[in-house]
Amino acid sequence: MKAVVVRNLSYVYPDGTKALEGVNIEIEKGEKVAIVGPNGAGKTTLLLHLNGIIRNKNVEIFGKNIENMSREEIVKNIGIVFQDPDDQLFMPTVFDDVAFGPINLGFDKEEVKRRVEKALSMVGLLNSINKCPHHLSFGEKKKASLAAVLSIEPKILVLDEPTANLDPKSRAELIDVIKKLNESGVTILIATHDINALPEIADRVYVLNKKIIAEGSPREIFSNTKLLKENNLEVPEIFKLFEVLRCFGYNCDELPLSIDEAIEHLTKTVETEGGHIHLHIHEHTHDDIEKVKRKYNHHL
Amino acid sequence: MIEYPEIDRYADLDSILHKFDPRAKIVSFLTLIFSIVLIPDLKVALMAFTFSVFILALSKLPLSFVFKYLKWVTMFVLSIFTILALTFPGEKTSFYFISLSKDGIYSGALISIRAIAATMLVFPMIGTMRFDETIKALYMLRIPNSLVQMLMFTYRYIFVFADEFHRMLTAMESKGFKLKTNLYSFAVIGRAIGMLFVKSYERAERVYQAMLSRGYTGNPKTIADFKMDAKDFFLATLIIFFAIFLHLMK
Repeated sequence: MKAVVVRNLSYVYPDGTKALEGVNIEIEKGEKVAIVGPNGAGKTTLLLHLNGIIRNKNVEIFGKNIENMSREEIVKNIGIVFQDPDDQLFMPTVFDDVAFGPINLGFDKEEVKRRVEKALSMVGLLNSINKCPHHLSFGEKKKASLAAVLSIEPKILVLDEPTANLDPKSRAELIDVIKKLNESGVTILIATHDINALPEIADRVYVLNKKIIAEGSPREIFSNTKLLKENNLEVPEIFKLFEVLRCFGYNCDELPLSIDEAIEHLTKTVETEGGHIHLHIHEHTHDDIEKVKRKYNHHL
Repeated sequence: MIEYPEIDRYADLDSILHKFDPRAKIVSFLTLIFSIVLIPDLKVALMAFTFSVFILALSKLPLSFVFKYLKWVTMFVLSIFTILALTFPGEKTSFYFISLSKDGIYSGALISIRAIAATMLVFPMIGTMRFDETIKALYMLRIPNSLVQMLMFTYRYIFVFADEFHRMLTAMESKGFKLKTNLYSFAVIGRAIGMLFVKSYERAERVYQAMLSRGYTGNPKTIADFKMDAKDFFLATLIIFFAIFLHLMK
């Protein structure tokens, strides 16, 4: 079943700037999908359409046109975590904020408390339940704003730059929560610049630059040099490293995208090549490396 | 560092007033405050003042914290006292070579003592609970919803805006701006404040979007676990009785 269908969606800002032009997106139930694209590509604007904050009739949620859904029905189905946690946390305490959604949906006191505790323990913030948002660190604020949407237990979770500006630990924790949610059946849509996290948080990627430029698995997108260059996109460092290793004669058809894939690939190679890895320098090695370097230097 | 207006900085202390039920506290203290500002007699006002000091002592709030805010009120009422003492018509008395009005001194003192006694009570009232509890108590006391929401958002975002303004000032200073008392400085600060308004407006829009995304319908409800017990009723009755008593005395 399709969780989200966007058909031919266009949007022009009041000042006349085109934000979106004929965007088409389809997301299956249970999928995890990322939207990447340069700054100002319209990612946030697109997300605002998905829960009817910007009214439109081109979006369907679980087969139902969003125009015909009540606010309550939309909120139950699709939860959005916005980019700036100070916009997202508007209540006096963390508890009140996480309870805001469930209370609006009319759950009784016990159910609200159960949901708040569940959501906060999921992001590891149960200890800060009575703090006021002003006293939280940026990473904690990010987690709290995720919890505030999780307490609604939406079927589709939309995240705008969830890992931006986070320290490595908070970032890893947040990615972990997202993965766990997806495993429990929540459909995930993420707008992000965090290319290194992409292989973990997305099965499929849309490249958006006012319109949908490309769609495919992370590997397909990262292998398309021209596409990357035209849209100011990067590839994961691991991906680059193995492309360099290939110049040294490492045998690798499918470049790994994450540490896990790299470990798997290296183990396999060591096992098949009799206990070690063979690298060497040929005449053309240096030229090949130069080519790889040039390929990923956008400003050159 | 910026100083935040944290009225609930000492909400975690332990005193009889910290344990007082927030709703009962607000109702009884407000009754007492209104009663104090309506006192017609200086002796009674002095008695109320003593009672306020006693309540403040009960709250265990650090005096330095209270005086930091109370000094502005004091300075304000003292200026009124001075003006009244110098200008009020009626019987005169002289202090060295200055001619003072007796009635002026009397009503000036009455006004000053009433004002200080009443404002002093604000601290044991809202300084002894977290501000979110104050807001929840007001909500449960059926204060109009839009008023409660305004208070709630003000309290949440005053810190965010203070930070934002501070960041702007830092940015200006790091580009060589020095605050002086000249027209240029005022113009620059004026523009910065204007910018803050624009930023606030844009933030308000994003906050509203976030609220809608979580099912906001215009009537936020909240959950609070307040329980009134015999002790709360007793304390509230005592304070309200004192408030009435102040007006029964002749």
